[in-house]
Amino acid sequence: MRHLFNTIVLFMLMFTACNLSPDEVTVYCTVDQVFSEPVLKDFERETGIKVKAVYDTEETKSTGVMNRLIAEKDNPQCDVLWSGDPVRNSVLQSRDITKPYQSEQTRLIPDHFKEKDSHWIGFSARARVLIYNKTLIPPDSLPRSILDFTKPRFKGRFSIANPLFGTTTFHMAALFESLGDEKAKQWMNDIKTNGAVVAASNGDVKKRVMNGEMAFGLTDTDDAFEAKKESDEVDYIFLDQQENGIGTLIMPNALSLIKGSPQNENGEKLINYLLTRETETKLAKSCAQMPLIKGTEVPENVPSLDNIQPMKIDYKTTSEKLQVIQPWLKAWTEQ
Amino acid sequence: MDRTIGKNIIRFVSFLLLFLLLALPIMLLLLQWLTAGEDTVLLSIINRENLLLIGKSLLMSGIVALLATLTGTICAFLLYKFQFPFSGFYKLTLLLPLLISPYIFAVAWKDGFFWLLGNTAAIYSEAGVILVHTIVFFPLAMLITGSALSQIHAGYEEAGLMTVSFRKMMIKIILPLIRPALTISFLLSLIFSLSDFSVPAFFCVRTFTTEIFTQFSALYNFPLAIGQSVILLLICLLFMLSEARYLSDAPFFSVSVKGSVSKKYHAGNRKIMLHSFLWMLLVSSLLMPALMLTVQSLTGRTMFFAQAWELIRPAAFQSVKLAFAGACIITIIGLWTAYGKERRNHKLPDLLLLLTFIVPSTVLGIALIRHYNLPAVNFIYGTSLILLIAYLGKFGFIASRIIGNGIKQIPVSFEEAASVAGIPSKKIFLKISLPLLIPSLFTAFVLSFILCLGELGATMMVYPPGMELMQVKTFAISANAPQALTSSMTLINLGVTVFLILLLFVFGKWIFKKFQYV
Repeated sequence: MRHLFNTIVLFMLMFTACNLSPDEVTVYCTVDQVFSEPVLKDFERETGIKVKAVYDTEETKSTGVMNRLIAEKDNPQCDVLWSGDPVRNSVLQSRDITKPYQSEQTRLIPDHFKEKDSHWIGFSARARVLIYNKTLIPPDSLPRSILDFTKPRFKGRFSIANPLFGTTTFHMAALFESLGDEKAKQWMNDIKTNGAVVAASNGDVKKRVMNGEMAFGLTDTDDAFEAKKESDEVDYIFLDQQENGIGTLIMPNALSLIKGSPQNENGEKLINYLLTRETETKLAKSCAQMPLIKGTEVPENVPSLDNIQPMKIDYKTTSEKLQVIQPWLKAWTEQ
Repeated sequence: MDRTIGKNIIRFVSFLLLFLLLALPIMLLLLQWLTAGEDTVLLSIINRENLLLIGKSLLMSGIVALLATLTGTICAFLLYKFQFPFSGFYKLTLLLPLLISPYIFAVAWKDGFFWLLGNTAAIYSEAGVILVHTIVFFPLAMLITGSALSQIHAGYEEAGLMTVSFRKMMIKIILPLIRPALTISFLLSLIFSLSDFSVPAFFCVRTFTTEIFTQFSALYNFPLAIGQSVILLLICLLFMLSEARYLSDAPFFSVSVKGSVSKKYHAGNRKIMLHSFLWMLLVSSLLMPALMLTVQSLTGRTMFFAQAWELIRPAAFQSVKLAFAGACIITIIGLWTAYGKERRNHKLPDLLLLLTFIVPSTVLGIALIRHYNLPAVNFIYGTSLILLIAYLGKFGFIASRIIGNGIKQIPVSFEEAASVAGIPSKKIFLKISLPLLIPSLFTAFVLSFILCLGELGATMMVYPPGMELMQVKTFAISANAPQALTSSMTLINLGVTVFLILLLFVFGKWIFKKFQYV
């Protein structure tokens, strides 16, 4: 019996042994693992710095990473936050968890896509698009503006993701910023009256359109790009591209250096690596993300930001707006 | 005298260690919340809206618990009291839904509804949540009531059948005898259903748990979320403590029958009806989700099984290692707490495990982060040790109950006789109690292993950076990967788990044979 006990203890020590190495960097990532992991592996290969990543899951909707960062504030474990949009970085900035970072690489990014003190720096952007099922709705019958969703002919035929989570929440905040509170609230109430189906996530919206459950829905370019790869019946368009339209929401990935992080220098190296044309090209190829650095090579099927009319918003004020309207969005979802 | 003091010191130090490891983080979190001085938070928790939401959640979970217990009991009665071909096959396969995440079930059922009916509106409702939860949790009720049924001494039933009909014997003898098991099945199903947020969130049904989840993940309102979690915790604690009597007495996942032979009935001409019922359950609880996953895996433009295996392989090895270590620790601690409770009347360690068992995963995760994320204890927080602590907190109570039940079945006279003969208590434990407990320890180990392998809620919060775990990776990849890849990964995940269970099953058969004198 004593031998059995000793063996168990030995096994447990073996299993729990940790690998402490100074040449490593810890990144918390809310970008889909299927796209972000290959980039981080390349960094590891090229620099010899081991990347220790924590990814979030669809099921837990970024609960893990954000709650961790907030709970770890007094003794940060993470060096870099790689977020799919700047909202989370702004929340962390407001809680004094991020720190500014500037370098040669950060200067390549247009000012509009980074926080003024560089608490977060954007790169490779996604856009909000309308994904549709060609067998259920012909392209010429599609809404051209997000405001068209309230038209009776689209009643019960479209879906949006839960506006409390993910990029949809940022999209709604941008609409409030762009249209004004009253008009945006009216629009949201009207789409509800017009039978908008609230899906669990953008992935769920994509799936419903692919399955033919819904004629169209709002999602991100990477979801739409994946859907096109999986099905010939699906395509996507950018909304509000007419001359006086409000434009489409562009959401850059956002990088933040964590204040008091254990491997600050390696964190800076990782940020500089991610803010390169090469990384933007990789993300363009894997998930159709649109580069922000001028002159970056992209495949033909990836749209260029030069050809899209963007929604004119300030990311910082939109993030602040989001925190203000969240109780209203919660009430809207629960109605 | 000195020996007694020594024993008390050892017992106290062990309890203190368990308290420091598990209960202190939760208590400190609650203390921080209580002393935050935000009166508005305290007041805002207790309002009409929250009370209605709690009522609605309790009603839904109550229906789930009722249906799961009813279905589980019928299954258990058919499988444990009747003799017919393939009953072993049904016993094993009907347990498999316990291994699948409720979230996967929700997705599979939604796809299944669309596939069959062309519409999913019906499942995006309270009824959808109840359906999925019932399917996920009825195997638990089947296990518990099955164990209880197999321990009813044949003499009771035979005596009853001599004077009354089978139906009356069932109502007057069998049901009262398994009442504690029915109560526990009901309570555990209710608590599990009440604590799960993934299914109601997926079906867009608002419950008290999704409300807590929203406060945590969308609004980052920790004080309110923790306050609401406290209410949930108190509700669960109230249920568990009020039924403590049943918890202590019920045969909880017993695997061996010491000194009693249960009566078995011949299915006779009811075989077709019996098989039809079990197949219907098997189809809805296992085959339908598995079929949906298989269809989705095969109908993509590319076959993803090879890629899925490449993604899962490193994570699978790591997960198995960790689940093994977790199950070892849980079984050892479970043995200690159960032995203390059953033989020494030390109930505190068991109560401590009950407390951490009913704490919502997210709250447990945050409590562990706040307590262990200090430079001095980075060797815990930055390594797998933090996961092992989380696993112990989540599943220690279940292991303690399984082993406790095994201890109850060992006649105290064995130990008393040895003690009278002058054998030291340590030797009595090692040479008499421990060998007799091997089957219960093995069951506790297997169940803990399965639960550790699938745990996601707390794991997501505390797993060390850089570590790849099977369950986390499957869900992380599923966010935007092609459906065929996600389904392939889930199927592989399930396959790996089933393979390991079969291995343990073979090993278990050897163990039970070796200790058959038990």
